[in-house]
Amino acid sequence: MVQVEGLTKLYGEFTAVNDLSFSIQPGEVVGLVGPNGAGKTTTLRCLAGIIPPSRGVVRVGGHDIVRDAIAAKKQLAFFTDEPRLFDYLTVWQHLNFVARIYQVADYEKTGNELLAELELADKKNALPGELSRGMKQKLAIACGLLHSPRVIYFDEPLTGLDPFGIRRMKDSILKRARGGAAIIISSHLLHLVEEICSRILILKNGRKIADGTLAEITRKFSEQPGDANLEEIFFRATSETGTPAEPPVLPPEIK
Amino acid sequence: MIAALFYLQYQTARNRLVSRVKRLKQPKYLFGAIVGGLYAYFYFFRYLFGGLAGGRQAAINPTISPEHLQMFELGGALALFVIVLLAWIIPHERAALTFTEAEVAFLFPAPITRRNLIHYKLLRSQLRIFFSVILLTLFSRRLGGNSLFHALGWWMILSTLNLHFLGSSFARTLLLDRGVSNWLRRLLVLGLAAAMAAGVWLWAKRTLPAFGSADIANFDSILDYAQRLLTAGPALYLLFPFRLVVRPFLAPDTAAFFGALPPVLLIFLLHYLWVIFSDVTFEEASVEASQKLATRIAAVRAGNWQAAKKNQKARRAWFRLAATGPLPTALLWKNLIGVGQVFSPRLWIVLITVVAVLGVSFGNIGHNQNFSYLAEMLIAIALGYSLLLGPQLLRLDFRHDLPRADVLKTFPMRGWQIALGEILAPVAVLVVFQWLLLLVGAGLVLYLPGKQTALFLAIAAGAVVLLPVLDALLLLIPNAAVLLFPSWIQTGKDSPRGIEAIGQRLIFAVGQMLVLLLALLPAALAFGGIFFLLKLTLGLAAAVPFASLAAAIVLAIEAGFGVMLLGKLFERFDVTEEPAS
Repeated sequence: MVQVEGLTKLYGEFTAVNDLSFSIQPGEVVGLVGPNGAGKTTTLRCLAGIIPPSRGVVRVGGHDIVRDAIAAKKQLAFFTDEPRLFDYLTVWQHLNFVARIYQVADYEKTGNELLAELELADKKNALPGELSRGMKQKLAIACGLLHSPRVIYFDEPLTGLDPFGIRRMKDSILKRARGGAAIIISSHLLHLVEEICSRILILKNGRKIADGTLAEITRKFSEQPGDANLEEIFFRATSETGTPAEPPVLPPEIK
Repeated sequence: MIAALFYLQYQTARNRLVSRVKRLKQPKYLFGAIVGGLYAYFYFFRYLFGGLAGGRQAAINPTISPEHLQMFELGGALALFVIVLLAWIIPHERAALTFTEAEVAFLFPAPITRRNLIHYKLLRSQLRIFFSVILLTLFSRRLGGNSLFHALGWWMILSTLNLHFLGSSFARTLLLDRGVSNWLRRLLVLGLAAAMAAGVWLWAKRTLPAFGSADIANFDSILDYAQRLLTAGPALYLLFPFRLVVRPFLAPDTAAFFGALPPVLLIFLLHYLWVIFSDVTFEEASVEASQKLATRIAAVRAGNWQAAKKNQKARRAWFRLAATGPLPTALLWKNLIGVGQVFSPRLWIVLITVVAVLGVSFGNIGHNQNFSYLAEMLIAIALGYSLLLGPQLLRLDFRHDLPRADVLKTFPMRGWQIALGEILAPVAVLVVFQWLLLLVGAGLVLYLPGKQTALFLAIAAGAVVLLPVLDALLLLIPNAAVLLFPSWIQTGKDSPRGIEAIGQRLIFAVGQMLVLLLALLPAALAFGGIFFLLKLTLGLAAAVPFASLAAAIVLAIEAGFGVMLLGKLFERFDVTEEPAS
């Protein structure tokens, strides 16, 4: 569903993403992890056609994101960490607008279902300024899912959500994956990645340093099989020396 | 503790200056600073420095008579009186010193006394007053005289007013705490003002000769009556403190200036003590005010002036957007809703009604040819201004949406479709407004002499076809500029500030004018060619609309290429470009 070959993004002399290659099958949930500045957001932006790659090819549903951008973009949705909404459009006007952009003929039925699922049905006529951070996030998701995308990118999808929202977001991601969507999640929340991703891709300084299932990556970076969780693996994989991180400080015991 | 607050203020100003100087390494800021500096010097500072250099000059042009000087003093005192009165009537909120969010976060939980916070706030307000003084001195230099005395005079007036506003807000809060509502306070203040006015009126009735038509025969007689009214009786005492405050600014010479200083400094000191010794809690209201300010600043910096307004309301769409159809229509639909925050359907109905009423009224009195000529001239001026200012004021296009360029780029639309959709809304609004004006103009033409009627109608017909393409072209230029040089133009995140920003805008204004002239040249040639050909064969009235049509076709072709180019520019636009700062 998504094929990336030799993706490279340069800013002047700085290489943000360096010769990245991977592919994602329908129904797969890939976790994109890495320290700050590893190139995760730049990678997602290239995959979504927001910024052009300096080198390499990105195909979405078989369509080149640069040469056949319209066909590729019709199949994808990109959710940024900060919901980007139009201040003067109401919740329903957002859906109406997006429906026209993606030519979704029966958007009213789908839109109402999405609003009900995301508990926004009573906010149809509200402006973004009247919504909480979590509600804005939900509206962005409703807009993105309206055209039933086959490829979905999430950049820090849990930012600002309450525990209920987090649970619903995880369920929603897994539901779309079971429906056949190819999903990439970029996040610093390693527990989330560990919990819902079927594959993990670790980036460091724009380069891919690990790609595989949790078990495969664990095997690669553990001294003994099964002796570490993703957090520990992450520290080993991304530390300069490759050595394990200091053990975490534990909270004091309550007497 | 106050030393730490001084340190904060000093370092903030210093670091801001250093970062501004450092960025001059980039040519765009350097050129901007040079052009902006030259502009500021030739239009403002040359005169200010000239005034400062002439230290021996009188404060006020010596040719101004003492009577006129007294009138200036009375006028200034009266204006101050009204400002102070309004400060006690209009505001309704509790005392709130507006701090930035960072100041609230760092200073409010810190062990700093309330008095020190007020001192810090007063110190900060001095910076704002300083720039206001410079600006006002530049304007008041027309009175002639010593600019330094003017500047000091303005500083005293503004600083005293600043303290008074603060003190009155503290007093308002104390009254609210003691159960005196805003409306009761307003009633009391208005009652007091009414009693003062009645006192002055009674005194005038008993003392001055009866007010008659001779007193309003000309400007001098009005001034004379006002002078008699305000320089004796109760008004003399009422305005006296205000006259003291404006007196240093109007001092005719150095001796008078220093003579006028002690009373105004005493008033300033009394205000300062009033503010400092007011024991009023302002923190809670300040936190709220700071959050509102931060939201507003963020909205303005994101290029979203509408969101910065209070009480933004949801607007209905101007038309129903079907789920399928041409894609640019979606952006037109979206941006028209944004425009609707200002140009609501209600406003259009009012506008059309006013135009209709004016049209009928003009019709009734339009038999007067001079009046019709005048009205036509006003319409022509309004059309000119709509072309000049319209594209600058209606910014619901790329200039507004650029901070969301990443969202636009995920849309499955071609560049030209996005470009066309973005400029359609401002074009539509401008065209409707201009066509309404033309309609009124065409109605008035009926009252002009025969031959002129035909000519005016021909010009109006030509304008009908020319204006839409001209509007499109005028909007394409700033939109292309913002995509080519996003960090030069105010679009979002952080708008450029300072003298280099003034220079950048000047460079851009000149650049855009040149591009426009270049774009208009082929259309002007087409117009000229057709016009002269048809004028010889069909006459003037027929030549104008046909020549306009030819020019409109040329402009439409240019606009078409412009949209394609704008689309290409957007496709190549890198959303990670350096934001304006």
